[in-house]
Amino acid sequence: MSDKALLDWSAEADSPVPPASWGRRSAAAPLLPWVFAGLVVALFAGRSLFAPYLTSPALQTWSTIFVAICVQALPFLVLGVLLSAAITALVPPSFWTRALPRRPYAAVPVAGAAGAVLPGCECASVPVASGLMARGVTPAAALAFLLASPAINPVVLVSTAVAFPGRPEMVLARFVASLAVAVLAGWLWLRFGRTEWLRVPRASAERGWRAFLAAMRHDLLHAGGFLVVGGMAAATLNVLVPRSWLAAVAEVGWLSVLVLALLAVVLSICSEADAFVAASLTAFSPTAKLAFLVVGPMVDLKLIALQAGTFGRSFAARFVPLTLALAIVVSAVTGWVLL
Amino acid sequence: MSRLAQGLVLLLLGGAVLRISAFTTEYLNYVKPGFRPFLIAAGAVVFALGVATLVQEWRRPQDAARERSRWPGAAGGYGGHAEAHPGPQADARSGGHGDGHAGGHGHDHSRGPRVAWLMCLPVFAIFLIAPPALGSFAAARDDVAPPPPPREVVEGYEPLRGDGPIAMPIGEFVGRAWGDPNRSLTGRQVRLTGFVVRSKKSDAWYVARMQLNCCAADAIALKVAVRGAPAPPENTWVEVTGTWIPPRSDKLPLGTVPPQLRAIDVTKVPRPVEPYE
Repeated sequence: MSDKALLDWSAEADSPVPPASWGRRSAAAPLLPWVFAGLVVALFAGRSLFAPYLTSPALQTWSTIFVAICVQALPFLVLGVLLSAAITALVPPSFWTRALPRRPYAAVPVAGAAGAVLPGCECASVPVASGLMARGVTPAAALAFLLASPAINPVVLVSTAVAFPGRPEMVLARFVASLAVAVLAGWLWLRFGRTEWLRVPRASAERGWRAFLAAMRHDLLHAGGFLVVGGMAAATLNVLVPRSWLAAVAEVGWLSVLVLALLAVVLSICSEADAFVAASLTAFSPTAKLAFLVVGPMVDLKLIALQAGTFGRSFAARFVPLTLALAIVVSAVTGWVLL
Repeated sequence: MSRLAQGLVLLLLGGAVLRISAFTTEYLNYVKPGFRPFLIAAGAVVFALGVATLVQEWRRPQDAARERSRWPGAAGGYGGHAEAHPGPQADARSGGHGDGHAGGHGHDHSRGPRVAWLMCLPVFAIFLIAPPALGSFAAARDDVAPPPPPREVVEGYEPLRGDGPIAMPIGEFVGRAWGDPNRSLTGRQVRLTGFVVRSKKSDAWYVARMQLNCCAADAIALKVAVRGAPAPPENTWVEVTGTWIPPRSDKLPLGTVPPQLRAIDVTKVPRPVEPYE
């Protein structure tokens, strides 16, 4: 038994069922590179074969928006994955216990405020938050970081200031409301959240270069797959829902806040660009625009897919509605006070 | 998903991103020009990760023994198993029920998640559909034209210098037409470049351009109604020379009707490399 197991292991370490794959390596493994090579040839040939026929305007528009969302998010995803892999593989675990306050209720606001230093959009923050949890940071604190960082980092605040010239109170309102939602959501999760809802990713005990590559590959493939799911959903709704429908509801105060919050969920615009889109929705009140800016980086289709993939579906099913409700209420209150 | 497949998917994705950013200008159909270095960097990282994965896979038979000593829990589920049953037999056994485990948790570093296969979809779209820049289909979707940029409205635009037709972006024309207290467009010939969008309701047509803030998902259509010239076929790129027609009343709120241009000349032009404004 032990002999056979040893043989299996050295022949095919990754095999799910060693006895079935035992000895098949020589037959199965070399096939995949040939399939791959054939695929690459087919892709290059396919452009001249298929592209002239796939010209339906709706399909082309859909695929342009789909590819645009994926292409635009990829650099941020890669940045987040690099940081996350560095956190799990290169930073010693003791660092986080020293850097964050010991008591969880104090750690949540500190982690939320620390989100200000990660210059990226929401795609980058999911793998980083997962890496923090893997390194033993309290989940609630990592979640506060996850929510705050795409909304309050300097790049996003500067782009908001550029999109709303002469209205610094918009930047302030966005910062205050986003941080408040992140901290509240973290505290609520700490008070009411249960451990079995959240799938905390565990880091391997290994550290160093190989662990870095392994963590990076895993995070990138995983988050990338779910990014594609979100991109497809967002592109579909983008093509199907004409923006002119919005003008009709812009007049009703409370409804306009809800509508722009939902629009932020549907459009899944990167948080570094959403301020420009919000500024272009002139028919809406400033409070509604604030809701768009606060909800967008925290809840949108691609983010829901990413969170469900990274932390589990039972987590996303509870955390997403909680965040959405908090974000709408807090931005309504902030807008009423500040704008 | 075996490690070999993971490496190949990464290679495909990285290659596709490098193709549209480093080797062609196709990325301009999707994002802003300034985004190119980030795309090239990201594509290179993904590609290099794929290469590193394949190299690891290639050398694995040789260093399997070393890896066994370094990665005691690698074949089993992520965490738990290795501590519970150390040693090679345990690895083989936990590998035996590793499939269900990986499906439930999806956190096994050596077997990739199945959802990663979806990353082939954008690659297929890039190669097989070759998505073009957004055109008249997207522009016709929103009938409400966007407002002029607010900054210039406060100060007013610079007066237009020189004589003869002035080439300007459609965004600037819209801004000057709507929001310029100095009415700098009055009596001036301008030249606009854009694609043709035909109105669904009447036989009017527009010369239009999409404006990006970050990527094509947030594109907004900028439209100028062209009067006094027959409509060219939908989606052709044209250069329209003409003069602004001031609105008859100031009562219409901004953003409900596109500004109008009386055309003197309409010429077909090739599609510009940078399709968006």
